[in-house]
Amino acid sequence: MKLRAEGISRNFFRKGKNTNFFTAVEKTDFELEQGCLTEITGHSGSGKTTFSNMLCGLLTPDSGRVFLGDQSLYELDDRKRSYLRNRYIGIIPQGQTGLHGLTVLENVMLQAEMYGSTPDAREKAVSLLEAAGIGELCEVYSNELSGGELRRMVIARAMMNDPPILIADEPTGDLDSETTALILELFRKYADSGNAVLMVTHEKEALCHADRIFCMEKGILSSVPKK
Amino acid sequence: MKFAFNVSLKNIRRRPFRSAALGALVMLLTICLFLGAEVILSLQGGLDAYRSRLGADVIVTPSSASAHGSVDDIFLQGITGNYYMSEKDIKKAADTDGVQSISRQFYLTSAKAGCCSARVQIIGFEPETDFSVLPWIKESYSGEIRNGDIVVGSEISVPSDRQIKFYGKKYNVAAILGKTGTGLDNAVFTGYDTIKEMARSAADIISRKEFSGVNIDNTASALLIRVKDGYDPQTVADDINIHITKVQAKASKSMISGLSDGLSGISGIIAVLVGAVWVFCFIIMLMVFALLSNERKKEFAVFRIIGASGKMLTAVMAGETAVLCLAGSAAGLLVSVPLCFPLSDMIHSSLSLPLLMPDGAVLAALCAGAAVIPLITGVLISLASAVRITKAETGLLLREGA
Ligand SMILES: Nc1ncnc2c1ncn2[C@@H]1O[C@H](COP(=O)(O)OP(=O)(O)OP(=O)(O)O)[C@@H](O)[C@H]1O
Ligand SMILES: [Mg+2]
Repeated sequence: MKLRAEGISRNFFRKGKNTNFFTAVEKTDFELEQGCLTEITGHSGSGKTTFSNMLCGLLTPDSGRVFLGDQSLYELDDRKRSYLRNRYIGIIPQGQTGLHGLTVLENVMLQAEMYGSTPDAREKAVSLLEAAGIGELCEVYSNELSGGELRRMVIARAMMNDPPILIADEPTGDLDSETTALILELFRKYADSGNAVLMVTHEKEALCHADRIFCMEKGILSSVPKK
Repeated sequence: MKFAFNVSLKNIRRRPFRSAALGALVMLLTICLFLGAEVILSLQGGLDAYRSRLGADVIVTPSSASAHGSVDDIFLQGITGNYYMSEKDIKKAADTDGVQSISRQFYLTSAKAGCCSARVQIIGFEPETDFSVLPWIKESYSGEIRNGDIVVGSEISVPSDRQIKFYGKKYNVAAILGKTGTGLDNAVFTGYDTIKEMARSAADIISRKEFSGVNIDNTASALLIRVKDGYDPQTVADDINIHITKVQAKASKSMISGLSDGLSGISGIIAVLVGAVWVFCFIIMLMVFALLSNERKKEFAVFRIIGASGKMLTAVMAGETAVLCLAGSAAGLLVSVPLCFPLSDMIHSSLSLPLLMPDGAVLAALCAGAAVIPLITGVLISLASAVRITKAETGLLLREGA
């Protein structure tokens, strides 16, 4: 399954010199390739999160369309779009996004249980958490985790339904270099098994894992040749 | 949607303080609704019981009766005394134009001394003519009341041998009456012959001055009059008052209407208070939910990211509220149902109003209502905030949430 954006852009209302709006992302065409680890870098405030949110189906673009396979995401109704997001797009948002009413294991399993439970969800969740290096924290409530542990939980959650598309917004921002390497290895393997992975990052070391690199500058996305 | 309910329950459990505070709010609302409605219905019930019990159009008592309280009190509170009118006055009253039928009642207060089991009001009625006490007795006892039998109000304690002693003689308790919520629950009823016998013993034993000059065989403490069709009870009462100086006559309608005015005034105040509390709780709940859903924007955004549709998110929010409301209501009922009995007693004794608790079925319906109204209120409010949250774009919610 392919994720493709056609001329998507997004403005926000914000007071400027002679305007009342601000263009966070200029019209952009983009395609996520299967089996490929794609990275987007760029300065803070350049529009990376805005862009990746539009790709995930979380933020409606002002212009353009996003296609998941041959379905235009933002032309579907909420139910259908939510379902597709649950099944086909694993999302690791910027910031901390644990559900604190649930344990780590429940957080991860929720992704699978939302649209009917799968029999082996528990084993799957446990093995993902183990792969992320927090297997021993299954029964802990998510608000009791450190920032880095929480991030790893969210990564496990995003991979729970084996989505063909994984979109991560600064997934290694608050991790030590050892864990960062572990996570990058996870993403690399995930891409190698035929999935499309998009990663927004500042990390220099992350760049060497990537197959394709883009740079976001003031809302304009441009391809960066790989050294 | 099973997952939504599970998540709701987990959220409630993981936030004990928040859950308890919301539950307490609902509990308060339930208590107000239940007790308020219960008191209003009790007052209404008391009035109805009183109205149907009375039955007479005009009531005549000796002028001396006013020393014991107003005529109203006799019927409203069962406060009687030893006062009697002469045979001549009774005859005059019976002959008044417009009187269709007349039934005598004979009042006697038992003594506290050893000759009597308890100090109560004893009311003697004429079974042949009575239309006031008998229909009421029939509700709980269909048998005959023979000479020497007494029927007692619901508050009177009956010994196991079913005998109560008055002025040295034991009388057989034939029946216990249903509760009226009035002082009549503390009274004893008996036929005319039996009470005359009691009065004679009373005169012998304690030779009370009340009986001096009274012909026990042909006297009465009160006359209950029914007027002929086409006659105004007030006119008949006025007529009696003009022509017979030693008695006072009162049209019962004026007694009831005075009472029901007072009651509807009180019921109205209670209804307004309950309404005010409801509005107050409604506003607080509205504010709390608005605040909470604002606080929880991030949490809701995470649900959306994982793939929850707007409907699922709504189900989680409404489910959480529904569970909290039901728990709060249950707690409220647990508090207020046992409380409604002492509360009725308190209102009864402090306001001197007839109070008759609604029966079990009505109480059950009240419970259901007091639980369902906060439930509907809470769920509607949470639906309103759910609509607001699900309409917002997740990408923006995520930024706004802390
Ligand atoms: N809801 C919003 N309202 C107004 N302005 C917004 C909104 N969301 C984003 N912006 C603006 O759009 C620009 C891009 O924001 P975005 O979050 O996409 O940046 P970013 O590249 O992800 O930055 P960072 O690396 O710090 O995460 C920023 O200047 C931000 O102020
Ligand atoms: Mg960002």
